[in-house]
Amino acid sequence: MKSAERRWIAAILLAGAVSIVEAAPDSVKQGEYIFRAAGCVTCHTDDKNKSSLLAGGRALKTVFGVFYTPNITPDPQYGIGRWSDEDFIRALRLGVSPRGEQYYPAFPYTSYTRLTDDDLRALKAYLFSVKPVAQPNKSHDLVWYVRFRPALAVWKKLFFTPGAYQVRTDKPASWNRGAYLAAVAHCAECHTPRGVLGNLQQAKLYSGTRDGPENAVVPNITPDKKTGIGRWSRSDLTYYLATGATPDGDYAGDLMADVIDNGLRYLRKDDVQAIAEYIQSLPAFENPLTKQKNNKKKSEFDY
Amino acid sequence: MKFAVAKIAFIVGSVVTFLAAPFALQAESSPEDIIKYRQNMMKANGAHMAAMGAVIQGKVDYKKDLADHARALQAINKNIPALFPKGSDFGGETKALDAIWQKNADFEKLAKQAGADADALAKAVQTGDAKVYGPKFKALADDCKACHKDFRKKDEAQ
Repeated sequence: MKSAERRWIAAILLAGAVSIVEAAPDSVKQGEYIFRAAGCVTCHTDDKNKSSLLAGGRALKTVFGVFYTPNITPDPQYGIGRWSDEDFIRALRLGVSPRGEQYYPAFPYTSYTRLTDDDLRALKAYLFSVKPVAQPNKSHDLVWYVRFRPALAVWKKLFFTPGAYQVRTDKPASWNRGAYLAAVAHCAECHTPRGVLGNLQQAKLYSGTRDGPENAVVPNITPDKKTGIGRWSRSDLTYYLATGATPDGDYAGDLMADVIDNGLRYLRKDDVQAIAEYIQSLPAFENPLTKQKNNKKKSEFDY
Repeated sequence: MKFAVAKIAFIVGSVVTFLAAPFALQAESSPEDIIKYRQNMMKANGAHMAAMGAVIQGKVDYKKDLADHARALQAINKNIPALFPKGSDFGGETKALDAIWQKNADFEKLAKQAGADADALAKAVQTGDAKVYGPKFKALADDCKACHKDFRKKDEAQ
């Protein structure tokens, strides 16, 4: 009797284990897709120093000092290996670490907050499937007046609206998908000018900035005809997001090339089209950014 | 008579050679001229890529021109480093970064790859099969991007 009971329990446990193993690939796959769209790898891998995938350490130079991205491999000591699903959701939704520490918005939780619970769980499942790397985190090197982390709670009160993406019923499904993915890809974080406190200037969303990451000029991607991308067709923009080729046949080599190579090129065509649909629906905003010689159309080929 | 014609021909030939000599001997071109030349080559590169891209995407129906574009790309990408001689990094307006000359081996490697991929593209287009030439086109596009990433200056603020 006893051994039969034991066998029965073993069978249930085994069935459970098998079903977990079988369930894993799907959510890992879904998570990998979100991982691509969210562009995690670009910041969390220190390509320049040939460091391991997602082990962090990349220096992000900003006006507030240098941030060193953390290790997000599932290493239990140096990575996020001990995080629960709830820890992970809280980090990306609210910008708070499992220990209750406030994150700097250099980590774009201001955009990741829009991720659904389901996609967040899938993303964590994917991250936990990569190779753990025992690489300790480097502490940030910031200017003194932003070193006091608890003050970030005040910043959040002023500039952060947490919460998963809310579907707009007055818009088509493809537009909503595009808006969701644009939030996940956190386009606005680079393509929007920031205020003195590092906040995105909501009135100028997507209109580009001269003070982008690594001192880059980030173009205006509103549909303004003169200073934005108002002359691009839907297929131009879709093609650009998937390949990096502008309508003139130029292949930009700036940070956007990393965004495309590491992420956007892996997205389904209908998803890339949806992002283009959303971007083209933005209000046009005139914001000239790059040098223009004698008001002539700037050539993209000044090699 | 025959002798006279030959004599005139010889004299005309000598005069032409003499007049042409200063141009032929002008081996030292100015950095500005080299920069302008390579910018035009790159423009052509981009234009053929854009044109091919439009056909491959199905925006326009000029499939029969694909081979011509591919041949042009093959010619332009045959020797990219020749467009960047030492000393052509100053004077004119250029986005060419010093890295081209400082990390010359890396630059040459990327340029060589572009040349090889342009060759492969020209060959692939001959098959007329988009499944064959599509990936080759993508490979060449990636070469453009890879080189611009490390060796071309980013846009500057106003």
